[in-house]
Amino acid sequence: MTAIAESGRVHLPAASVPRSVATPLGWLRERGMGASILVAAISSAFGAILLSATGFIAAVLRADPFIGESGMLAAVLAIMSFLLIGVAVYVAAIVTANTFATVIAGRTRRIALLRLIGASARSQRSEVARQGLVVGVIGAVLGLVAGTLVSWAGVALAGAAFGIEDVEYAVVQPVLVIPAVVVALTTWAAAWAGSRRVLTVTPLQALGGSVEASHDAFTRKGARNGAAITLFAIGGALLAGGIAIGLVSPLGVIVAFFGGIFSFTGLALGATLVMPPVLRLVGRLFGSSATARLASENALRYPERSSRMAIGVVMGVTLVTMFAVALETVKVVLTTSAGGEAPQEMTTLLDTFAGIMMGLVAVSAVIAAVGLVNLLTIGVVQRRRELGLLRALGVSTGQVRRMVLLEAAHITITATITGLVLGIAYGWAGAQSLLGAVPMPPSFSSPTLVAPAVPWLPVAIIVVATAVLTLVAAVVPTRLATRVVPVEALAD
Amino acid sequence: MELSSTDLGLAARVQQLTKTYGTGESTVHALDGVSVGIRRGEFTAIMGPSGSGKSTLMHIMAGLDAPSSGRAWIGDTDITGLSDLELTILRRRRVGFVFQAFNLVPTLDALGNILLPFDLDGRRPTTLERARIDGLVERLGLASRLNHRPHQLSGGQQQRVAIARALATSPDLVFADEPTGNLDSRSGREVLTLLAAATREHGQSIAMVTHDPVAASHADRVLFLGDGRIVADKPRQSAEEISAYMLASELGAGAAVAS
Repeated sequence: MTAIAESGRVHLPAASVPRSVATPLGWLRERGMGASILVAAISSAFGAILLSATGFIAAVLRADPFIGESGMLAAVLAIMSFLLIGVAVYVAAIVTANTFATVIAGRTRRIALLRLIGASARSQRSEVARQGLVVGVIGAVLGLVAGTLVSWAGVALAGAAFGIEDVEYAVVQPVLVIPAVVVALTTWAAAWAGSRRVLTVTPLQALGGSVEASHDAFTRKGARNGAAITLFAIGGALLAGGIAIGLVSPLGVIVAFFGGIFSFTGLALGATLVMPPVLRLVGRLFGSSATARLASENALRYPERSSRMAIGVVMGVTLVTMFAVALETVKVVLTTSAGGEAPQEMTTLLDTFAGIMMGLVAVSAVIAAVGLVNLLTIGVVQRRRELGLLRALGVSTGQVRRMVLLEAAHITITATITGLVLGIAYGWAGAQSLLGAVPMPPSFSSPTLVAPAVPWLPVAIIVVATAVLTLVAAVVPTRLATRVVPVEALAD
Repeated sequence: MELSSTDLGLAARVQQLTKTYGTGESTVHALDGVSVGIRRGEFTAIMGPSGSGKSTLMHIMAGLDAPSSGRAWIGDTDITGLSDLELTILRRRRVGFVFQAFNLVPTLDALGNILLPFDLDGRRPTTLERARIDGLVERLGLASRLNHRPHQLSGGQQQRVAIARALATSPDLVFADEPTGNLDSRSGREVLTLLAAATREHGQSIAMVTHDPVAASHADRVLFLGDGRIVADKPRQSAEEISAYMLASELGAGAAVAS
């Protein structure tokens, strides 16, 4: 009799259950771990490449007889790389924490069972953190090796291309290890942060638990939201101050810069306050068909998860848009104040700088995209039963496909719109605070109010990239979701 | 000419149905040449110990699973040759489901769950259907719960929402798979009374899979499955009679093995 019951289950792959918990590193095959390794690897490789690039540029400049020892330029480059790596690592940490939180939500039953047998919540949580450390170390080492190889090839290529072979630059340097170590440690910390939910799992959940628990009940959001609002308020005040100072002096941009950092950190911390209303708004755009409603409700089902999924993409889009808008606005202002004709070199320099910066911050967007793809996939895996129920009740595979695609689109569209709005605002604030004192025609009076100039090409690229990301993000979840057969709703 | 289900007064039927899992040594015959009809306007219970094939039979009858051989009809539609999409639409329009647990879509409120089959079809219920649904909601005592999400409802209330959804489209057949398996005895009795009433008052055909003699005693007819075959087909029985029969057949099987 049991033979039938078991054989009936043979064709149901238990995707959310780790296939081999027995082997020491078997958990690495669990869904989500691979993506976390990839995220760690990208950020650590990015760090290594950026450090090599700035080091190489500094070496080239040193070798230049006309520029020579320019401490100023080297310092600016160092600060820039520090900030860029910081942003990448920050986005990676958000993505990893979110991934671990989601993976743990799927492990609830097993954790509850172990708690039932007598494991302590604390030991369960340290195990998750340990797994985070292992993931972080593997990713960091892979990224370090890959980054070093790419840097080595890049330096050789650049040397050959620009005829500067005589510049001595050793790619393999101890300093490259720093981003790798930082990445490993932040992944560890992120896993720890994401595993908070382990503490709330009770042994009883191993027994019943067919009803979905409310996921927001336990989060202690008060302190975090307070900090987010405070940071945002300080940042907003600084931004306003920077713009005001900018009306008389270009130094306003420095005040505005800190205002930007504070307010944006506030936004990222308070993602769960900011994103759900936007998600709700975008969800309404999808119409009222059953698939659309199911898709948009799914994005709001775990507001915290969706918000963090979106905020990574928001950061990437905001930064890219900010650089694009700020530099375009600067260009317009300089052109206008010069009487309609900007110096060609200046325009080229600004365009090149904008291009490089956008490319560099886009790495953060890529990391966020990896996280998005991963989380959508896990989301589908954890919903197998529900998908089986829907199939039984008469949802066609076509409708399932549309639902998953809409779900991905929901997050990406929300994130892109938010990012574009924020990016334009920050870009304008930067340009205004820098150039508010520039006299403008026709009256050539200062202070002036600068209108934000939005370059269409980067915006178009962002929109196309978002569309591509949506399609890519939906591929694996769609395949998994359409493979669910209705009988699964009735199984176990 | 072959007789249709309608001629026979059947809501669904299967003919020479077999379902096997695995191959060679490990072949398991979940269903072994089952032929049976579910009569229209009757509440039929399908009973049997776990592994008897009752769930497999229900899955195939409801168009959720494909048989290894044999044919199955819902009404006069032969469902064995249908594509996945055709089966999906058939389930949506002509079959109702009440499962043991996890019946409701957690992101939709009670009303959203009840109206889901209509929404999936991209239409609003007609005035007549709307009146029917209002009546069901009233009868099932769900009027004050319509805007609650599943996690805000008790187990019994969740099952009642599932029943309302299953009956809303007035399908050819409602399949109930252990609908009281997760309920306390009072809520369980309520659910069974409601199912029986749907048959009595509205002529709804219902097939219920269960291993609980008390649940089966609410049905007009009780089919017994054992080792993939129909072993008995009895009219309305009391819980005691059903238990006695099951015990006797178990003992009989045990004695046969022992000898």
